[in-house]
Amino acid sequence: MQPEKFYYDNKIVRNFGIATVVWGIIGMLVGLIIAMQLYKPEMNMGNQYTTFGRIRPLHTNAVIFAFVGNAIFMGIYYSLQRLLKARMFSDVLSKIHFWGWQLIIVSAVITLPLGITTSHEYAELEWPIDILITLIWVVFGINMFGTIFKRRERHLYVAIWFYIATFVTIAVLHIVNSVELPVSLTKSYMVYAGVQDALVQWWYGHNAVAFFLTTPYLGMMYYFLPKMANRPIYSYKLSILHFWALIFIYIWAGPHHLLYTTLPGWAQSLGVAFSIMLIAPSWGGMINGLLTLRGAWDKVRDDVVLKFMVVGLTAYGMATFEGPMLSLKQINAFAHFSDWIIAHVHVGALGWNGFLTFAILYWLIPRIYQTELFSKKLASFHFWIGTLGILFYVVPMYWAGFTQGLMLKEFTPEGILKYPNFLETTLRIIPMHVMRSIGGTMYLVGVIAMAYNLARTMMQGSLVANEAAQAMPLEPFKKSDTELAWHRRLERKPIKFMIISLLVILVGTFVELMPTLTISSNIPTIASVKPYTPLELQGRDLYIREGCSNCHSQTVRPFRSETERYGEYSKAGEFVYDHPFLWGSKRTGPDLAREGSKYPDAWHYNHLMDPRSMSPGSIMPDYDWLITQKLDTSLTVAKINAMRTLGVPYAPGYEKVANRDLDKQAKGIADNLAKDHIKVSSDKEIVAIIAYLQRLGMDIKANKTPEK
Amino acid sequence: MFKQFTENIDGDQVYLIASMGIFVVFFIAVAVLLIKLRKKHVDYMSDLPLEDGALNSSNTLTL
Repeated sequence: MQPEKFYYDNKIVRNFGIATVVWGIIGMLVGLIIAMQLYKPEMNMGNQYTTFGRIRPLHTNAVIFAFVGNAIFMGIYYSLQRLLKARMFSDVLSKIHFWGWQLIIVSAVITLPLGITTSHEYAELEWPIDILITLIWVVFGINMFGTIFKRRERHLYVAIWFYIATFVTIAVLHIVNSVELPVSLTKSYMVYAGVQDALVQWWYGHNAVAFFLTTPYLGMMYYFLPKMANRPIYSYKLSILHFWALIFIYIWAGPHHLLYTTLPGWAQSLGVAFSIMLIAPSWGGMINGLLTLRGAWDKVRDDVVLKFMVVGLTAYGMATFEGPMLSLKQINAFAHFSDWIIAHVHVGALGWNGFLTFAILYWLIPRIYQTELFSKKLASFHFWIGTLGILFYVVPMYWAGFTQGLMLKEFTPEGILKYPNFLETTLRIIPMHVMRSIGGTMYLVGVIAMAYNLARTMMQGSLVANEAAQAMPLEPFKKSDTELAWHRRLERKPIKFMIISLLVILVGTFVELMPTLTISSNIPTIASVKPYTPLELQGRDLYIREGCSNCHSQTVRPFRSETERYGEYSKAGEFVYDHPFLWGSKRTGPDLAREGSKYPDAWHYNHLMDPRSMSPGSIMPDYDWLITQKLDTSLTVAKINAMRTLGVPYAPGYEKVANRDLDKQAKGIADNLAKDHIKVSSDKEIVAIIAYLQRLGMDIKANKTPEK
Repeated sequence: MFKQFTENIDGDQVYLIASMGIFVVFFIAVAVLLIKLRKKHVDYMSDLPLEDGALNSSNTLTL
């Protein structure tokens, strides 16, 4: 049998590489802007499209799906071809995948600042874009499996298992967390409500970290690290254990994002238990990576690529140790909602994802351009300023998290809250936020230096668009080769492998999601909880549009420090009409679950127009456009109908009179404001959002009144 | 540290115990797989990234 000659497609790798760098700079720049908004409200730039609530999702989406996403595809398209000794299945599909993915990102860049969002974290994009993501993901899948089918290497290396698990799990996560009922082209409601929606969202959110930010990167680590160090992985057996244990356990850990909420206790306990178990496979993987460099540590001193890998792997180890610690209830009690979480995710994002991406770019670009890196000195500068940038970023954030977390829980000897005004704790951590943005700037400067370095490298070399290679064709599998080891058999059966991976991730998914989604006794109803009025519903949609839940939670945990500060702790039954849930994950401002009737309408009016007029020193942006913009009531009928379809008990035919009720309630609020000498016409957006804010927590208060 | 797991389960221990059971079975299954692997195969798999068949690279080319 003669060896076959074929060509690796390097152009698609290069294209994803360029997209990685360009979107990386944009995503990090947006991150820097929002970081500065947290101590200088003027950085919101005085218009609605660049306020924190709208562009914080732009930052997260850009770094996760644009920067990391493109880097994943760069790494997969390079390594998959070489591990399988085959060109990608279809050049056309590669191109559709590349341009389709960029189109998704551009759609996000346009829609998120416009306030078109589902409010589900890292899944903010509205339903038409969700469909596009599904289609492009399928294109990627066909291209990957097509390549696997025409391979010249019988056995699939561990990196490819991680890619397969990524593909199948992200597909499941994306579909389940995007089941929305469209109201218009740019608006939809989640089919799940309240606690159920929260569970689905954090099952998704946690596993987006697992299967988008972790498994594809582990696959890339298992391919690129041996290449970079020119030695095989430390233990292949450990990598098998790492793979199966990681994908099995990760899927269960989502509920640790919902500790002390109204999620059933058993689901919280499961989340904690599996989070702790996660240390084992995570550290197994990190150790496997670091030990691959055994005997090659002298290379680490000279080779900037290996330096990036070592710090990246160390950051992975730190983040995956910290994650389980944060899921312990006692620690979570004050770390959750605080800047500690921001520090935690940035150890992972800047250290693990960022540094691995940089290492791969520095290693791969000169190779496909058949040249040397333009400047090793500049790459070394990038390494040091990047490492220092991470430290300057995370240390102040830990400090801010501890400070604010402890302040919010502190009582005086007399038993009253020491810092009853939330703002006092915010102002205390502003210096840390300033430091954080300096760290972020340093990191970004490093990335820009890399962009320049890589651009010069590309200019001095020439792209080998089609790299010649040869390998023996795959012989038909002979029965006489029967393999005893089951796993060895599995390594040459990609579809079976995918199905088994799918089953493994579905175990945890079913045990956790099904009882909460199907057993009604898990969510005790409360008779006094009524559907939102049409005006409140519209106000709620404005709250979603402005991204208020990026800074304000809506769930009071059962701690004295919270019930004293906000009011009665939240009950599952309060959220049964909340499509979607709006619990939030970060308290940059106070919780709003009990906001209703706390302040008069006029306070909210003035506070939204200029927060500093009511709360001196507040870092909340002005929302003055709410006063001038007219509320769009053209969708009220469709919204009421959609909510009824989802099970909200609006009376039959109510949609016909909904706008009449809306006008009536709005007029009441406008009249109330007029008493405080505020002239505003009742058809403005601010009236709707005041109606919503004044409704928050009122059902429970109504429930209490008769008992007294 | 472990008190929270045993005390805060609200009578739903069955979920916790069943999932731990599933995990233990799963873990043992993977361990058995690993034990059954032959060294020759493990070495072969470990070397896969280092042999990519490219004609112009410095990597060893084994056909």
